[in-house]
Amino acid sequence: MLDKDNKYYSDKLVNEALKQEPGWFLKDNFADLVAEKAGRNFAWTQYIREFAIYLAAIIGIFVVTAVMALIWFENDWKIWSDFLISNIWLVAGINILALFILFADRVLLRYFLYRAESKKDFAG
Amino acid sequence: MEDSELVHQVIGGNNNAFRFLVSKHQRLVLHVVGRIVQQQDQVEDVCQDVFIKVFKTLKNFRGDSKLSTWIASIAYNTAITHIRKQKRRNELSYNEQPLLLADEQDSGLNQKVLEIEEAHRYLLKLIETLPVHYRTVLTLYHLEEFSYKEIVEITGMPEGTIKSYLNRARTLLKGKIEKVARLEQTNIFADYA
Repeated sequence: MLDKDNKYYSDKLVNEALKQEPGWFLKDNFADLVAEKAGRNFAWTQYIREFAIYLAAIIGIFVVTAVMALIWFENDWKIWSDFLISNIWLVAGINILALFILFADRVLLRYFLYRAESKKDFAG
Repeated sequence: MEDSELVHQVIGGNNNAFRFLVSKHQRLVLHVVGRIVQQQDQVEDVCQDVFIKVFKTLKNFRGDSKLSTWIASIAYNTAITHIRKQKRRNELSYNEQPLLLADEQDSGLNQKVLEIEEAHRYLLKLIETLPVHYRTVLTLYHLEEFSYKEIVEITGMPEGTIKSYLNRARTLLKGKIEKVARLEQTNIFADYA
């Protein structure tokens, strides 16, 4: 039979068991793996943000130029819109190509270079 | 390094600072996630998710609580979401309600529980059979030594519920180990005397 002392000891035993490490484990290089993953994530976000800033600046310059041309130099917006509409595929194609080049230059290339570099560092 | 300084460095993109943050808190995250997820092959993935979430949302950390409390709350929520998703996929039965410790588990284990070390192992197994919220509060309170207030912040449970879970879990474990001692007709506590 358990006596009063044994109740005390069962308490002690439970307390000790509750302080024991559970059997779960992580790889030894877990911190490095996570830091590398987070670093890639940070780099991607940063490159996308920079791309967006570039894009906004370029669009801004175009808009300001167009407004200046229309207001100060009294250009006819009808001629512009007719030109854009009649050459819609050409205009769209040039814009998409320019956008892709900017994206590749500001985001993709830099990201893949960063990945290759961090993989080399990680392996080394 | 102070928590605020560390957070500042990580937000600034210092990868070494983040590596340091992960090393510092990975034991805490492992304990919380491990006790909830209970599957070694998934524990590491969930722990990774936790730290990536920490990285992405660190700018929202206002320093109202300790960084460890904040990280533990992310670990708790991520692990709970993970097992709920699994439940939906019917890969694992998720027990929100307290489950009774199955008697059939005694038969094999009773015979082994003769020494203190085995009793510890047996108790660890019993802890793993407790309902998820019991396991979580036991881990946070006893293993990680968080206060009731901090456990409230981490889990969002009321303080009374936490105290009740702790008390009931301890009573269950004590009752079980005393029952085993009686059934074995042996004194597993002899080593303590």
